[in-house]
Amino acid sequence: MTAIPDRLCQVAALRPKSGAGGHAHRTEGRRRAEELASLLGGRMEQNGRGSHFRVRRRFAGPAAEPLAPGAWRRLSPGSVPPPCDPAGWIFLDTETTGLSGGTGTCPFLVGVGWWEADGFSVEQFFMRDYGEEPSLLEALSERLARFRVLVTYNGRSFDWPLLETRYRLARFGAIPEPSVHLDLLYPARRLWRWSLESVALAEVERHVLGFDRGGDIPSASIPQRYFDFIRGGAAGPIAEVFRHNQMDLCGLAVLALRLNRMLGDPEHSDCAGGELFGISRMLQKSGELPLAGRLFRKSLEKGLPRETELRAQRELALMAKRERNFRVSNEFWEKLLDGTPEGFDAYEQLAIYYEHGARCPEKALGLVREALVRLRESCGSGGTAEDRYRKWHGRLCRRLARLERKCAR
Amino acid sequence: MEVGDIVRQLVPDGAPNEVVTAIERFSAREAEWAPMPAWVRPELAAAYRGRGIHELYSHQAEAVERIHRGENVVVVTPTASGKTLCYNLPVLDAILENPDTRALYLFPTKALAQDQLAELQDLGGSLGDAFGVFTYDGDTPADARRSIRQRAHIVLTNPDMLHAGILPHHTKWTRLFENLQYIVIDELHTYRGVFGSHLANVLRRLRRITRFYGRDPRFIFSSATIANPGELARRLIGGDVEIVDRSGAPSGEKVFLFYNPPMVNRFLGIRRSCINETWRIARAFVHHGLQTMVFANSRLHAEVLLTYLKRDNPQPPGEPEIVRGYRGGYLPTERREIEKGLREGRIRAVVSTSALELGIDIGSLDVAVMAGYPGTIASTWQRAGRAGRRKGGACAVLVASSRPLDQFIVRNPEYFFSGSPEHAYIQPDNLEILVNHLKCAAFELPLQEGESFGEADLELLCERLAESGYLHRSGGFWYWTQESYPADAISLRSVTSDNFVIVDETGPPKIIGEVDFTSALSTVHPKAIYLHGAIQYQVERMDFPGRKAYVKQVDADYFTQAIVYTEVERLEVDESAAVDGPAAKAHGDVRIRSQVVGFKKIKFYTLENVGSGNLELPENEMHTTAYWVTLRRALIDALPYTVSERQDGLFGLLYALESVACLLLMCDRVDLGATIGEGAPDVAEPPRAPNGAPSDGEWFEPALYLFDNYPGGIGQSEPLYRIHDLLLARTLELISGCECDKGCPSCVGPVGETGERSKEAALAILQRLVGGQSTELRRQP
Repeated sequence: MTAIPDRLCQVAALRPKSGAGGHAHRTEGRRRAEELASLLGGRMEQNGRGSHFRVRRRFAGPAAEPLAPGAWRRLSPGSVPPPCDPAGWIFLDTETTGLSGGTGTCPFLVGVGWWEADGFSVEQFFMRDYGEEPSLLEALSERLARFRVLVTYNGRSFDWPLLETRYRLARFGAIPEPSVHLDLLYPARRLWRWSLESVALAEVERHVLGFDRGGDIPSASIPQRYFDFIRGGAAGPIAEVFRHNQMDLCGLAVLALRLNRMLGDPEHSDCAGGELFGISRMLQKSGELPLAGRLFRKSLEKGLPRETELRAQRELALMAKRERNFRVSNEFWEKLLDGTPEGFDAYEQLAIYYEHGARCPEKALGLVREALVRLRESCGSGGTAEDRYRKWHGRLCRRLARLERKCAR
Repeated sequence: MEVGDIVRQLVPDGAPNEVVTAIERFSAREAEWAPMPAWVRPELAAAYRGRGIHELYSHQAEAVERIHRGENVVVVTPTASGKTLCYNLPVLDAILENPDTRALYLFPTKALAQDQLAELQDLGGSLGDAFGVFTYDGDTPADARRSIRQRAHIVLTNPDMLHAGILPHHTKWTRLFENLQYIVIDELHTYRGVFGSHLANVLRRLRRITRFYGRDPRFIFSSATIANPGELARRLIGGDVEIVDRSGAPSGEKVFLFYNPPMVNRFLGIRRSCINETWRIARAFVHHGLQTMVFANSRLHAEVLLTYLKRDNPQPPGEPEIVRGYRGGYLPTERREIEKGLREGRIRAVVSTSALELGIDIGSLDVAVMAGYPGTIASTWQRAGRAGRRKGGACAVLVASSRPLDQFIVRNPEYFFSGSPEHAYIQPDNLEILVNHLKCAAFELPLQEGESFGEADLELLCERLAESGYLHRSGGFWYWTQESYPADAISLRSVTSDNFVIVDETGPPKIIGEVDFTSALSTVHPKAIYLHGAIQYQVERMDFPGRKAYVKQVDADYFTQAIVYTEVERLEVDESAAVDGPAAKAHGDVRIRSQVVGFKKIKFYTLENVGSGNLELPENEMHTTAYWVTLRRALIDALPYTVSERQDGLFGLLYALESVACLLLMCDRVDLGATIGEGAPDVAEPPRAPNGAPSDGEWFEPALYLFDNYPGGIGQSEPLYRIHDLLLARTLELISGCECDKGCPSCVGPVGETGERSKEAALAILQRLVGGQSTELRRQP
């Protein structure tokens, strides 16, 4: 293929994507390390797999708190090892060359944080170029080995699988995961998805924890900042990524403390209705049903958005039914009768009660007929999707036929 | 009634005539047996015995022996000759020997993988479930994927999923790659042209990954009969492959008929419609209780035929339908149900596009009727192979359309019955394709300096990719430096990976099917009639950015056909030479822009044109390679015709040239495109008109282009340049040998569309191009 050079300009696959491919001005590697060091106060570290750049910082706050009783099993239902104080936790957050995952996405900056006697320590491992990755991974694994609990935000599905991939690609034998991995995204979702548009960490910080990051950079700019840096760009833009990562780690620590307090004593903490609802769901998971019931009631008193309100009532009705307290469960079902998913549940549950419990099939028949009318209305107005309509319609019709036979006898 | 009785009705005297142009009988053949090899583990041999397999066909024995010895093998045998055993037996034996062994099976379609899954699970059942076999494709639920990655001994997937779902995540597949011993590639012959060129590059990537995990797996291919299976397999993997092609499988008696619909107007060269004749013939077979499969060459024709046959065979009340359609756009569950219905004999007739040509297990039917020549000898045999009962005989009928290729085939049956099947061409070093896969490769594992990837100058390409921001060099390696996931943007099958989904809004909105981006423009444009399951839908609107077409059920007596406008821009000439005419031939790089500019409404049954409409749809652009002939002004001026007659002649000539080129290249018709443009590079582009001709005036020096219908080209243009003389001579034979008077669909196109003197002018141009001697117009008796 001798004609290659001439043909290359015609190959669309070789052309830059729109806007990309700017040539940053090359600065010499050593000088940039110095520049980074002066901006961030870090230095080059050597180990058996080469060298990488490391930054250490100590923050005065937040101060560590002991683990609240009960908080652990609610945060991490089913985890085997005994609880350990937040002082034994390590927080981790990565900055990566992309969000798509796969073997071509690389965490170029890995930050970890933990509590020491005099404050919150943050350590950041950075590769100035791809060749420094093995050394970074080695240092990280040494650090992680000292802790038993790993705390992340969306680390279960993003950061950790990505790191596992990197360890595999770099042919590390064993992959150093601490024995418990606590991903705070899951509890955060349970607690705040009702009140926040997004449960991204920065949003939770702003609206729940009450602090503003001020001049933080947009996360979407991070990959390009790194690509510019390795092509010889200035150190300033990448230094801002380090700060962003530090804020993430501190925010994560504050969030962990807040969750510890909220879940440690949920009945007496000053929680909003939506938060109480979320905690109740977590308590159901950890098997603490009486407390869950109390908190569902409390969340209803404090006021909930409509959708959550219905779900809380439904949960309470089901819990009462399980205790065979039909007076209470029927009370909730009566409130729920409507053309909503919870409403159809309510019609069905009441019909079951009147058919089998109260032995009053005529009343059950009336309820089922009414439910079918509601179902048609709801589908007609677009409130119920077609597949759900079909499911409910089938169930109700079978019940209707049986009740009609019963009543006719 | 048996097959033979109906054949006798079609040809009472048993001799070919003007309509049934060939009656080729194939007698039954006995099986050639070989013993089960001694090394096969007893439990596996017992499992096969439990399925009635005590001995192997001779080709099976040869294949498994070679595979067992560690050779790469390609098995080339006809439909239903037990080719899956050739790979399943050695793979399962290896797994039973060492339970760590892993194998990866690639099928061109998801349906074929499903089919194989059923067969393997069945075998697994009688082996105490000693191995895990799973399909892994776009339909696999996310929560099942993790366990499949760990537990599957055999992963059944397709090249697209390997490309976008497995290779970029190879670290999650460590168990598979660290133990990968066999890679099975079924239906090898489907990997030609652009799809094959892509696959070759996916396999280059796969081999990089297996090297990373320290494995060197063997390849097992199976293929329908093509001229160069060994060469194709070798080019795909860049290594040696042994061929096993002597089938030992038995076959039943079969008759193959070529049917040329009778002339209804000799003057206009008009024959009865191929679709209607196919319907008539298929109807007769179905009526007499023979299970019949009808093949159509387009989705549209399949739906039209399905509509007709369903009206003849209405669904009995309370019972399942006995006539069904089957094609790519149907949803998977619907397809499984149809396959089952066919095997069980409940479904008596099925109308399919090429989707059922491949080895999906539907059992053997009595009759296969093809509406039109499938385009290649290999496909024709595959489709005919669907009819193959061991008892009572089977029949295949090829009904010719009026396209030149069809007419050539049915008028020259010996070309088909004694000719060699097609070559499958691929161009793994097509730069557009190669560079795209190089990006994927860099994403999967950094490219090392000095590494090789096909024929490419890796260093040079990597430098270019680095300049464009895709790669970055560090310490002897090239790293991927983009946020995006390169495989997502690369489709192995078409220009783009986009699909349009069809949303039926007649009731609550529901998705009824999908079409790929390129065909979407011509099949689901606004106001198009979209046929699905013989129900007519009209496209209400198209959501272009959202890739959706919204349709509503209608009851119309017509269907629609898109009008496509194509424009060509010359980018670079590789070679050119003056030829007789005076004219010039050349090949090189071009940019093709095409656009759907309108549509025609065609009435059912009569096929009259009953209306039309204009459309404004986005343009499609493609950079590819082309061969072209530029006619010098002197030639044009010497023609004793008016400007518009000359143009009619040019279009007629192009129509015939394209047909003959397909035949000579032995390529699929869709692989080649044709258009006319201005020849002289210094003259501005002609203004557009809907039929592609200049709206006023004429081209100064027109050029007839035949181009590779793939971005980047797949290597057909240079061969055309080399056979220029033969191409023109054969085209002259086709046109002058045609029985029609002034042009017909079988030579220069129907006279109504191409103009009164199109045939005459086309011949006049051709005679000058082949050297000026006049050739007598020959009429066939």
